[in-house]
Amino acid sequence: MTVIDDTITISNQTENLVRVREFITRMVAQSGVRKKDENKIILAVDEAVSNIIEHAYEEQREGTIEIQVRADGERFEILIRDSGKHFNPEDIMPVNIHEHVRAGKRHGLGIFIMRQIMDEVEYRYKEGVENELRLVKYIKGTGAGGAE
Amino acid sequence: MPEFSIKKQMLGKDMVAIHVSGFLDAHTFEQMEETIEGLFEQKVYRIIVDLSKVNYISSAGCGVFIGAIGEAQENGGDIILLSPTPNVMEVFELLGLNHIFAFSTNLTEAQGAFAKAK
Repeated sequence: MTVIDDTITISNQTENLVRVREFITRMVAQSGVRKKDENKIILAVDEAVSNIIEHAYEEQREGTIEIQVRADGERFEILIRDSGKHFNPEDIMPVNIHEHVRAGKRHGLGIFIMRQIMDEVEYRYKEGVENELRLVKYIKGTGAGGAE
Repeated sequence: MPEFSIKKQMLGKDMVAIHVSGFLDAHTFEQMEETIEGLFEQKVYRIIVDLSKVNYISSAGCGVFIGAIGEAQENGGDIILLSPTPNVMEVFELLGLNHIFAFSTNLTEAQGAFAKAK
């Protein structure tokens, strides 16, 4: 069983999303994640980090985002930490994606995608310290996908 | 990582093919959005988006098309998505966009679809 634990830190600029995707691509390749789940996991992490970049820091304020991956053959876990504004994706109500899209609404899709793809989505906030978003995909496929 | 690029190919005075390559994410989506908005300003509403060289799309990229299709259709046009790669199609299906957008596998067929709609 391959155990993986690696971390990258990026600044809160959208140009760094490429680095995040490259990092997750390397991690999923080493972890035993099913082929059909690889691109979905990359997408879910991209969506999470994109939301942090957009919402967690006021304009012009620089910040960092730490992305840690831990995998043990059973679970592929991503921990995303930032020290920006409190933002809990669990506070966002689930959307009816068909009505949402038909109404031409473009925002709120990222959280929907995360919930559809990942088996667990958990948020923790430590006052004055940091936000931590935990995304988990079961490697052995025991989850149905989509955390509610 | 392939560079992001957008190239417009006018197909007559009111139809365009937009050839996109690279990735459409939260960093690059604004360029796509500005391109489509510019076309709307020129009253071009029949838009074929060639996605055959797009290797990645996120909700930010999808959002450009979601936000544009209403205006295109209200003005007698549409947005036809051409040859999305499997990765990109997977995201469209996740968001249900395969039920909203028209797809095509070649440019001639897509142009023909607009001609039939006249």
